Amino acid sequence: MRKALLPLLSALVALTALVVAATGTAGSSTTTAAQAPTSADTALVRCGRTRTIGVAAPITGAAASIGSQQGRWARYWVTRYNRAHKKTKFRAVVGDTQLPDTAQAIQVAERLASNSSILGVVGPAGSQEVQVTTATFKSAGVAFVSGSATRTSLTTDGTRRGYFFRTVPNDDQQGPRVANYIRGTLRHSRVAIVDAQNSYSTGLSDTVQRLLRARGVNVQRESVNEADTTDFSSLAARIPANTQSVYIPWQLAPKAQLFGQALRTQGKRAILFGSDGLFDPDSFKIPGSFVSFFPIDLRNGIINAYRKGPGRGKSELFGLPSYQAAAVVGEAIDRACKNGTATRAEVRGQVNKTNIPRRRSLLGFGIRFVQRPAGVLGRGDMGTPANFGIYRISANGTYVRVS
Amino acid sequence: MRCALIAPEVLREFRAVPLSFNAELFIQLLVNGITLGSLYGLIAIGYSMVYGILKLLNFAHGDVYMIGAFAGYAVLSLLGGPLSPNIALAPLILLMFLGAMLVSGLLGVVIERFAYRPLREAPRIAPLISALGVSFFLQNSALLLFGAQFRSYNSFVLGSSNPQFFEPGPLIDPVFTVHNVNIQTVQVLVFVVTIVLMAGLTLFVAKTRVGKAMRATSFDREAAAMMGIDVDRVIASTFFIGSLLAGAAGVMFGLLFSQVFHFMGFLAGLKGFTAAVVGGIGSIPGAMLGGLLVGLAESFAAGYLGGRWSDLTVFAILIVVLLLRPSGLLGTRAIQKV
Amino acid sequence: MQTGGDIPEVPGRPDERDRPRVGVDEWVASHDERLADRAGFGKLGRWIDARVPPWARLLIFAAFAATLPLWMSRGDLFVYGIFTLIYILLGLGLNVVVGYAGLLDLGYVALFGFGAYFYALLDSPKYGLHWPSAVSIPIVVASTALLGLILGVPSRRLLGDYLAIVTLFFGQAFVVFVNAANPRNLTGGPNGLADIDPNDLFGYELVTRKQQYWFILGVVLLVLIGLYFLSESRTGRAWRALREDPLAAEAMSMPVNRLKLLAFAFGAAIAGLTGCLFAAVLTAVTSGNFALPILITIYAVVILGGIGSLTGVVIGAIVINVSFQFLAPENSQTNARILFYGAVILLLALGVKPLWRLALVLAGAVVFGLVAHAIASGISESWTNGVVVEGGRLAHVISEWVIIPTGHQRFANAAYLALIVLVLAVTRIRGWLQTALLIPTVYLTAVVWETSFVEEPAVARWILFGALLVFLMTVRPQGLLGTPRVEIV
Repeated sequence: MRKALLPLLSALVALTALVVAATGTAGSSTTTAAQAPTSADTALVRCGRTRTIGVAAPITGAAASIGSQQGRWARYWVTRYNRAHKKTKFRAVVGDTQLPDTAQAIQVAERLASNSSILGVVGPAGSQEVQVTTATFKSAGVAFVSGSATRTSLTTDGTRRGYFFRTVPNDDQQGPRVANYIRGTLRHSRVAIVDAQNSYSTGLSDTVQRLLRARGVNVQRESVNEADTTDFSSLAARIPANTQSVYIPWQLAPKAQLFGQALRTQGKRAILFGSDGLFDPDSFKIPGSFVSFFPIDLRNGIINAYRKGPGRGKSELFGLPSYQAAAVVGEAIDRACKNGTATRAEVRGQVNKTNIPRRRSLLGFGIRFVQRPAGVLGRGDMGTPANFGIYRISANGTYVRVS
Repeated sequence: MRCALIAPEVLREFRAVPLSFNAELFIQLLVNGITLGSLYGLIAIGYSMVYGILKLLNFAHGDVYMIGAFAGYAVLSLLGGPLSPNIALAPLILLMFLGAMLVSGLLGVVIERFAYRPLREAPRIAPLISALGVSFFLQNSALLLFGAQFRSYNSFVLGSSNPQFFEPGPLIDPVFTVHNVNIQTVQVLVFVVTIVLMAGLTLFVAKTRVGKAMRATSFDREAAAMMGIDVDRVIASTFFIGSLLAGAAGVMFGLLFSQVFHFMGFLAGLKGFTAAVVGGIGSIPGAMLGGLLVGLAESFAAGYLGGRWSDLTVFAILIVVLLLRPSGLLGTRAIQKV
Repeated sequence: MQTGGDIPEVPGRPDERDRPRVGVDEWVASHDERLADRAGFGKLGRWIDARVPPWARLLIFAAFAATLPLWMSRGDLFVYGIFTLIYILLGLGLNVVVGYAGLLDLGYVALFGFGAYFYALLDSPKYGLHWPSAVSIPIVVASTALLGLILGVPSRRLLGDYLAIVTLFFGQAFVVFVNAANPRNLTGGPNGLADIDPNDLFGYELVTRKQQYWFILGVVLLVLIGLYFLSESRTGRAWRALREDPLAAEAMSMPVNRLKLLAFAFGAAIAGLTGCLFAAVLTAVTSGNFALPILITIYAVVILGGIGSLTGVVIGAIVINVSFQFLAPENSQTNARILFYGAVILLLALGVKPLWRLALVLAGAVVFGLVAHAIASGISESWTNGVVVEGGRLAHVISEWVIIPTGHQRFANAAYLALIVLVLAVTRIRGWLQTALLIPTVYLTAVVWETSFVEEPAVARWILFGALLVFLMTVRPQGLLGTPRVEIV
């Protein structure tokens, strides 16, 4: 059976050759970044016909149901752009960050950053991911625009100034909006808050809890692992019958639906109040609930086209800000590429100068980034009028904007 | 030092517990625990049976359960979808169960044939990686085929007179009420189906030829082979039955909690494995008992302690059980070597 | 051994036919002969084992590894270089527990996490401590070893899989503890601990990826040397005796309990050390870094490489990490396509003999595709109007050969399921029928790649990775470099 060794070895050699050939082509485009990582910032890239944006989203793993929406919406911007433009094209390089394992996020960031054809990045999704990837993106000079990282300090602590941007209002914009509505408009005085034991949720919960308590509301704080829990009846059993509303800043709308059903079957009438992560008319439809979300136009043609196309029948609105983030990055690259070449530094500057008017924005307001930090807004946040509206879920499950 | 850090936290959490005994809460949690426990028990049986015969931890079992849940969903969609089913509710659910059980049963046989049989003489730990490979494969195949979104059985409005307005369907109707706690039809259904399947399995293992062959094989594979038992066939049928029960559990999960998604098998598999070990791995009634224990522990910890410490408490309870009875509740201490 | 040439295609043992069904003594007796017969990876592995002395292996590895930063881009160095080294370290630690002492420890990743978190507490703005690595790393390693010792205590009472489940609980409890319980915000909860200092070499901070890589490489080499001497020592031999047969070891009056605890402590120490390096490289730790997926990866590294073999761990880590990263979606899809088709043809070349049969299959697949394409486009234009994703120069060829309908979800799903059935069938059938079946199988592989995998490269990566694990394990049940052990029942 010595014969068998020969083909096997030759196969190994052939495979190695193949591997080298495949990486060789990829490697040649990345050598500039490899030799001088510090000068990646100012390295000139010939824009050419096809420009590249990076997308970092949790496509697989526990957070896949929201991450894949972001990936699809970001790629949908590329598809639409390529359809509309004859001369220039975009391509998206999508990395899978597999939230909650931030080690994967940083690997994706390193990869995207050292691919010198990538001039800007959409994502990453989670605030903790933004935190761990900052050093990588900064040292490579890449602008990164997240569509879902809401922790306030990401912009206000100043360490990511000029590099990090987001197309979603931060916790300290959303929190007060919700607290005001619960206390001011609904006049509730007995509220429960259930955080989902992740970075996004605890941040919002803490903010809203602080604001409500300051205004004399009796707040009961609960906590549940939204991703791992399937049986919410025990949590529902902990909510007292006289609680008027339950604030649930979660990201998995189907789980909120389960929790709502568990409350109803136990005969509890508390109103659910969801955060932007729960805006999903396909999944979360407990009548009488509230959700805070962008003041979008649900009949928008692009959203409908997405629903019929890549969404496979769902609007997947959680990914909407990622579409907008892709637009921010893509248009910035286009502007930087006017003279045929661009640097990452130029692109960062152009991202900062973003000015998308309301009629071209899917989010319901124009997008401009704050230039002077003020209060809860830091550099990289969207300036006024960017904020959430409040929606109420009507008896037949449709979402109606009430504020 | 660690303990000193935890203690005040735990105390504060305990203070949040309602001091007066609340019968309503207790019964609610009991019902939740039993339904959840039945599910875990059914998954655990698959683990236990396979382990009994092959001494193999079949980590792909949770994903077989997930595929079962999706098969049930596929049947539901083929018959018109949850909001406007073409046939009456009872035969619909029956067909979903049958479809899911068939699909997962066959899947179990295929997995055994292609991923485990070639490794039967290998070191015991080797099939573990093969099992993980199968698990990755199944999980992501479901992701590819069905997408990442949660698919809904919509059992809340299934068979409802007016699903558009979210009138709860007949599955949610209370069968009876204890201390203001409604026991829903679906909960009774899950419990009854579990009991029926368990009884059927026990009879099967005790009375039929295949069942006897299974017991013989799990006692001593070599000796069984010498007695003329076709070991390969017995192992295949063990996988078929274990996976079939997992498929049934998948549909039950869909009916109970509406949502099915590609990642559901991972955690459920872990719970099933836990239940099997706590009950005494290799023992069928042990698996059921283990499932109930895990379900009840989870439900009561979540209800009385709240989210932050409940999972840790469940682990602590199970570790104590195992330290007190190192071979599980109903397990017999295996003789390692003769 | 007439089937030896088909190794990659045969799911069963190459010597299945000779394997006695009843009684294994004969099989055991002929063990060495059959070993000598076995070709391929095993042969290569045994050749390495027998001919290349350990110091030469170490030297080759060190020489090759040290050059990586000279020709790799920063990103590639990070994902291929640094992470492979981290997996090697983790694998080495686990190998002490599982490979040497034979204890199924599923809580191993928690020790890794403990080390990382502890380092983060000692070297981050959290409590304003910025201890030099020369102080903090030894402290962390010592305390992780102590924790491992404590975790090992129940191992005295629990056997086999019961130990596995208790340690698994410990691992899960760790994740819940740092993420949800988070007493007094010690662990930062879901936000984790951030801005962790880099490791320093007596005051010199290692900030660039190259410096970090070389530092970790140095640590890996030191650990490898240390473990080599340990495994050849009295304790190492005692561990292996314990793994092979705990009962006999005890009968020989070996201190079984003490040996087990020592193995736990040793494995834990390496895990703690890795935690320090990992936290410093990542600059932030969260509970998600220490969840089950990484435990699975480490086990795959150890088992695939060959339990109990140091060289095996190194090779296992390289195979696992490199293949996983190679399938990453952020690699160019055009290259991925060439690689994929190349791999399919290679696999066929290995499995289909003789050569004319292979040519028949390939030519058949081409013709089959052209006919199928013609029929499909004859039925309706929309059946073949789909867009080739990232086609590059091949786009035109592909669009003329592969059926890509517009809005093809259902078609893609059907093709995927059909492919699975066909592949399974092909591995079971022999002769002419197999050759005939291979033709549509090859074509369907192309269809599935073009309609499903290119669209979802992140998902395809996991599917291919899973299939690869099953394939490797069925071909080499004892791991790439493991010695095949016969379990006498």
